[in-house]
Order: sequence, then C-alpha cells, then structure tokens
Amino acid sequence: MSSGERKKRVGNRSKGWEEAGAEFYQESYPGAACEVDIQQALERDPSKLATLLPSKKSRVDYHCTSNNIEIVTTTKRVGHEPRTTLRRRTSTRLRYSTTTRRQSTQPDANASMLPDLSENLTNEKKNWEDIMQIKALPICMEQKKALKRHLQNTTTIRLQGCEQFKFWCLQKWEGLKTFLHQVYSKMGLWNSSLKHIGGNFGMGVVAYFLFIKWILFLNLFLFSIIMIFLVLPTILLEFPADDSCITANGTCCSSTSVNSTRNFEIASLFHGGHLLENTVLFYGAYSSSTYYNEEKNLTYKLPLAYVFVMIAVFAVSLFAIVRWAAKGFKQRVVENEGQLYHYCNLIFGGWDYCINNKKAASTKHLALYKEMKALLAAERFEDERLNRTQEDSFKLCFIRIIVNISVVIILLLSGIGIYWIIRLSFEKVANQPLKMVYASIDAKTVELWFYEFVPYLAIVLLNMVIPVLFNYLITLENYSPTFVVKLTLFRTIFLRLASLIVLLYTFYMKIAQSKDNDDCNNSKKPLCWETFVGQQFMKLYMTDVVSQFFLTFTVNLIRASVARSTKNKVIRYIGRQEFDLSKHVLDIVYLQTVCWLGTFFSPGLPLIAVIGSFLLFYTKKFFCMIICGPSKRIYRASKSQSLFMLILLICYILTIVPVVYSLVKMTPSKSCGPFKGLESSWTLLVLTYQQLPAGLRSILSLFSTFSFAATAFLILSFLLYYYNAVASANKNMVQVLRNQLVLEGHDKQFLLERLSAFIKVHQEQTKYQQEHPEFP
Amino acid sequence: MGAAKSQLTDQQLQDYQDLTYFTKKEVLYAYQKFEALSTKNSSIRTLEEMKNIPELKANPFGDRICKVFSSTQDGNCTFEDYLDMMSVFSDAAPKSVKAEHAFRIFDFDGDDMLGTADLRQVITALTKTREHSLTEEEIKQLIQYVLAEADLDDDGSLSFAEFEHIIEKSSDFSKTFRIHL
Repeated sequence: MSSGERKKRVGNRSKGWEEAGAEFYQESYPGAACEVDIQQALERDPSKLATLLPSKKSRVDYHCTSNNIEIVTTTKRVGHEPRTTLRRRTSTRLRYSTTTRRQSTQPDANASMLPDLSENLTNEKKNWEDIMQIKALPICMEQKKALKRHLQNTTTIRLQGCEQFKFWCLQKWEGLKTFLHQVYSKMGLWNSSLKHIGGNFGMGVVAYFLFIKWILFLNLFLFSIIMIFLVLPTILLEFPADDSCITANGTCCSSTSVNSTRNFEIASLFHGGHLLENTVLFYGAYSSSTYYNEEKNLTYKLPLAYVFVMIAVFAVSLFAIVRWAAKGFKQRVVENEGQLYHYCNLIFGGWDYCINNKKAASTKHLALYKEMKALLAAERFEDERLNRTQEDSFKLCFIRIIVNISVVIILLLSGIGIYWIIRLSFEKVANQPLKMVYASIDAKTVELWFYEFVPYLAIVLLNMVIPVLFNYLITLENYSPTFVVKLTLFRTIFLRLASLIVLLYTFYMKIAQSKDNDDCNNSKKPLCWETFVGQQFMKLYMTDVVSQFFLTFTVNLIRASVARSTKNKVIRYIGRQEFDLSKHVLDIVYLQTVCWLGTFFSPGLPLIAVIGSFLLFYTKKFFCMIICGPSKRIYRASKSQSLFMLILLICYILTIVPVVYSLVKMTPSKSCGPFKGLESSWTLLVLTYQQLPAGLRSILSLFSTFSFAATAFLILSFLLYYYNAVASANKNMVQVLRNQLVLEGHDKQFLLERLSAFIKVHQEQTKYQQEHPEFP
Repeated sequence: MGAAKSQLTDQQLQDYQDLTYFTKKEVLYAYQKFEALSTKNSSIRTLEEMKNIPELKANPFGDRICKVFSSTQDGNCTFEDYLDMMSVFSDAAPKSVKAEHAFRIFDFDGDDMLGTADLRQVITALTKTREHSLTEEEIKQLIQYVLAEADLDDDGSLSFAEFEHIIEKSSDFSKTFRIHL
C-alpha cells in the first residue's frame, strides 16, 4: 500500500468523520453560529478544542443576550460590549432558565434566558417569579433592568380563581418579608459593633459575639415567659393570703419566715440577700394559693403555672439549641463528605472579605501564610507519625497516660477544695445570729461578707488558674493542633462543671440533712431553702460577671498597657494577650448553665442573665478590641459555631438532671413558695391530673400505657431505619455519580485528543492536496 | 438622605429593590456611601476612588473585584456597578450567586477556567507580604493539592462546575464572602 493510497483512505474516512461530526453538532446544536465558531477555532488551533466543549463554554453568549435585549427593548446600548468571561451561567440555579432551555434549541439566541414567548405564554405568577430571579443573574444592572422591562412587557395569562388568590398571597408575603427584614435590620442590636469586630478579627470571632447575642435573646425570651405567667399575675392579681399554716410545734412556719426577713441593707442588693429575698426574683415570693375572681369568672392557679412555666423554660431552651445545632450539624455532614477540601477551603474561602483595615489585613495574610505552612507541615507530620518508631510511640503513650491521670487528679483536688471551702463558709455564716449580721459595717461584717463570697471567689480563681496549667500540660502530649483546642476545651468544661456539681452536692447535703418534719426553726437548714439556693446561684452568677468585668478593666488592661510600653521581652511575654476563643466561649456557656440551674429557684435569674450578657458583650468587645492584638490563629466561623452549640447542649443536658431531681424528689420547704405542704412539686401535677375530666384523663392515660409507648417506639425506630437507609443510598449514589464524572472526564479527554490529532492530520492532508493538485 | 432621594427616582428605587438583594432603604444608604467615595461631581468612580472602600482596600483581590463588577471592565464603576457589587456581597445573596462571582474574581486571565496560573496568583495574593512569602516549591505543592482535591476530570484546571462543587461543601465561604454595606 503506497503512502498516497493510505492518505487517501484516511482522507475518505476523515470525510466521513467530519460529516458525522457535523451532523452530530447540527443535531445537538443547530444554528449556524455554533458551527462557524467551531470551525474557526479548529482552524486556529486544534489543541484549543477543549474550550469549545459545552461544559466549558457558555450556554448563553453574553453579547448575544444583550443584542437580543436591544432588539426587544429598543433601548440604546453603547458599543462597549464587554468580551467577558461572563458567558457561563449556572444552569441549576434558575428554575426558569432550565425549563425554558429544554424547550428551546437555539443556542445563539438567548432563548434560554428569556422565556420562549411564541410557544407558551407564561402566566402571571411565573412571570413574577422570573422577575424576582433576575437578581441572581451575573449580568450588570443595565441588562437586568432591560430584562425586567422585557418581562414586564410580555403578555401574560391572568391567573384564575384560587391560583390568583395564591399568587396574591405570595406577593403579599414577599412584601411582608422585605418589610420585616427592614424592621429587623433597623433593630439589629450591635450591628456596627459586629462590623467593627469583623473588620479586625474576621468572622470566626464575630460568630462568638453572635453567640452572646443569641444567649441574650434566649434569656430575654425566657424571662418574658416568666414575666407574663408568673411575675405579672403575682403583682397584679390579689392572691388570698396564705393562712393555711403548716404548723410545726405550734408555730406557723410562713409567719416565721416572713418575720425573719425584714431587714434593709444596701449590700443585699448586690448578693440577693435578705432584702430581695421576699421579692418576685425568688421562689419564696410566689403564692401557693389560687386566684379566683367571681365577677370575671377567672381562676389562676399559680403553683400550676409555676410548674408549667419552668417546663416551658427548659423546653424553649432545648428547642432553640437544637434548632441552631441542627443547622450546624447539617453543614457538618455536608462538610464531612468533603473533609478532603482543606486546601480549597483555605484558598477560596480563606480571606475574610469584611476585613477593612491594613493591620488586620496583614495579620490575616500572616495567619493564612502560617496556616498553609502548617497544612504542608501536617502532611509531613502525618508521614512522620506513620514512620514513628515503636519506642517513640510507647514513650508518647506513657506521657499521655501520665498527663491524663494528673488532669483527673487536679480536677478531683479542686473539687475537694471547693467542697471544703463551701462548708467552711456556710459554717461561719450560719453561726452568726441573723439580726446582728448586717447591723453595721465593722470588721466583723466585712469578715462575714468575705466568708459569704469566698466559695464563689475560689471557684472563679480556680477557673482562671487551672486552664493555664492544662494548657501547659497539653503541650507535652504532642497532639495535632485542632485536637488540642478541643481537648483543652473539654477538660476545662469538666473543671467548671465539677465545681458546680460540688456546689450542688453541698446544697443538697445542707437541705436534706435534717429530714424531720418540724423543721420550721431548724437552725441548720434555711427557712426557705429554695430561696436560699436561688440566692446562691444569683451570687455565683454575679460574682462571675463582676469578676470578669473587673479583671478586664483593671488587671488585663494594665498588663496590656505595660506590655505595649515596655521593650523588655519577658514583660512583653507576660503582658501580651491573645483572644483565646475557647476560654471566652466557656465563660458564656458556664454562666448560662448557672442561669438554667438557678431558674427554678430564682425566676428572676434570666433577667439578671440578660443584663449580664449585655454587660459581657461590651466587656468582651473591649477585651477583644483594646486589649488583645488580632489573633494569630484562624477561627473557622462555621466550625466554631457548631462547637459552641455542642458545648451548650452538653451543659444543658447535665443541668436537666439536678433540676428534674429537685422537681420530683425534693420536698419543698414548708414555710414559703407555691408548693408548700406538698410532697414534691411533681405531686401537684399528679393532683391536677386527677382533677381533670374523665375523658381527658383517659386520653392522657392512653399515652402512658405500655402499648402506646411500644407502638411509638416501633414507629420511631422504623422511621429512623428508613431515613438511615435513604441516607446511605444517597451516599452511594453520590459516590457512583462522582465516579461517573471522573470517568466521563477521562473519556472526554481521550476523545478530544483523538479528535485534535485527527484534525491535524486532516489539515495536513488538505494542505498536501492543495500543494500537489495532481493527486486526486 | 433627602439629597439622595432627589437623585434616585421612585421607579429606579423600585427597580433596584427588585433587581438586587437590598431594600429601598439600603439602596438609599448605598447611594450615600457611593456619593461619599469621591469629591468630584461625576457619576463614575475610578478604580482609585473605589478603593476608598476600606474593605476593598484591605482585600488582596480589591482591584480584581472592581474590574469584575465594572461594566466597562476597567475598574471604573457606576453606581449601578457598585450596587451590583454590594448586592452580591450582602448577607442575603445566596451561595450560588456568590460562587459565580468568586469564580470570576479568581479567574484572572478570563479563560473561564481556574488554571494553574490563576491558582498561583490567588495563593500569592493571599500570602505574600513584604516580610514573608511561600517558596516556589511550596506554592507548587499547594496547587497540586488543590487540584488533587477539586479537579474531578483531571484536566489540570478547575471549571466552574468543579469550583461550585467545592463552594457548596464549604460552609465558611458564604460567611466570609460578604461585605457589610
């Protein structure tokens, strides 16, 4: 076979190929422009074929679009047709674009952008939706406007009847949403502060401040429930006086309680002492009787309201946390699939666009630089870890065990210490006769004050010192940096919770130690123990807020200013402070835990918490903006948010236990409060249940039967199973699609290579034929 | 605010509200801000004037952002361009819209693909300062890792579909890709 023959054959075949190719193109992309485009491009450079692929190329040609608009709207457009990269459009985004694209096959016209008018007239609703979608298009305003005009001028079918009404509702709803958005943005608390913080520290730290804001609103909401259902009725309605004396040894408990608490002291304002004891801030002030107004036929059972309000408070908190956490959880699940996207995340999502000053920008540059270096180093660290010798890993394991044991010991020691101090304090305070205590300010009073507050000071002090110790210990353990943050966080939580647990236990011992019934005048036990416990929690809350306030504005401020003014390296090292996010999160979570614990005993605590979080916002802002330099660490906004919620959820669950216990098991004090004389607060619910009408009761009892519970359990587990199956099927599908995508990518590349090679040959051949016309 | 109102007709305001993620009030506020960018009495702000916006000044992609949103492609922006920009960066704009524009910002050479050169430019813009910069070796490594993560069809560059896929998985992106008005 001669070379000429071969070439000829190739040429013949190639012609066939070409025809087939052209046909193919015509079938899928009719319209001359497309073909011309391709041929031109091929002539220029066959290797650039890839850029012509539909997936790489625009579905809608930008200037085509604008030309069309020009025709439609006959507006004058200046000839600055930007030759842009702006040709690609996300097909998935716009509903109408995908649907209309299916109808139309004209690639050169912008039919995919504008609804095809000749074929089916759009109805009013769709048209309106289209107009609302324009804002998502990546085109400039002028074109958006033109598009809007065009859509507005198209004839539309008017909707009929029910549809019309629905459309009207939809429009009104959108209007309402815009209005609400407007109102909300006006009311938005601290917006400028948040912007300021974001400009300097990035969104990760802003997430923390949003968390404070969230806590503030949660507490406000909780308090408003309490306000409406407990405080206002107590103030406005005249409850009949409690003459139902629960007598013990002939004296009336309630009168004893009232008589003993009529001292006025300024100091008590601060620690919720005797002055406030009988106010609505505390449990003791709520009446156990039922309001009944014959004229208006109004009954209000305060004790019942009290129980339900407390249940509502916890339910609302749970709902709020779960709602927020679920959002984060969803993100986490999506992210976990793509946990391999470290680098992409860092490079494409690394910059905080809200950073607005040079200093912050250079810190961000540095942080990103370090993070990238760290990622590369982690890659090496991973290699090293795999190659670690047995001796090394044994050594490390040993160190970790030692450290963990010492952490547990430290936790235990601090628990014991708190217990001991609390007992000491209680003994000192309890030994004093009541009336003498606040009579005048002398050495003795000061000493008493000191003893009264010493447990809380000790807790605050421990919470400050021990985390530093933990931070040191964890450096010995050689964990990866992200794990270090989490582990320190959890260890510190345990410390805080341990102190709370000890406190609760001490209270419990104090209250439950004298079980005898005639405990009206029991000196060891407070007269109204619920109020007493409420007071303790309020003291704890206030001590914490005030100490943070105080520390920030004195000690830390001095430290920072000293560090800034001196050149001495050691002093600078001591004085320099960074915004350690996890510590500050713990501060907030801890306070919220205290608030939840105390709410049952002191319904006013959420109000205090609202004020507290308001103050804390500014304290933390001051700490963040003035005292600390920008953090060198990168805090990921989404990750830190879900972490906050996880911690809050853990604390919430741990809080539920003692509160439920006190609701169900503890005997309420006999001298005060809505539940006096009852076995436990829960008994009230049981009693109420028995008073319900028989029909309702039987329905309720149905819920508590075994068969109902079993059925519900079964249905729930089936649902769980079903969703789990769906999820795993989806996961598989994702994997399959992904593989397909990769394979198609390879196929495409293979075909492209073949095609471009073939075109080259073809071109050479035509050239050859032109040069040697004697060969047919 | 009265002065600003006189400049924008009701019709314009309605259009802007429909065509951006802003309410009328925010549009007016944006107009004020836009006016404040320049002392000259012109309807166009040059690139230098646009960079009076502190967020753009601090941003390593500031120039690029202005160019992408400018309707004349040279970084000079009219009010409508400015409004477009702020709308994309606003809280209300969905992820897909943000992704679309981010892709255009990162696509320095404008070939509709994020190639190695684009990635190199992005990484350099992010990390390079006067004091420190990544070595050539490290940048190469980073690009290699990025492509390994995201380049599904192995063609050595990221198409928009691939880019959108990553952004979909990154919850940080829509949080950080915003500028408050």
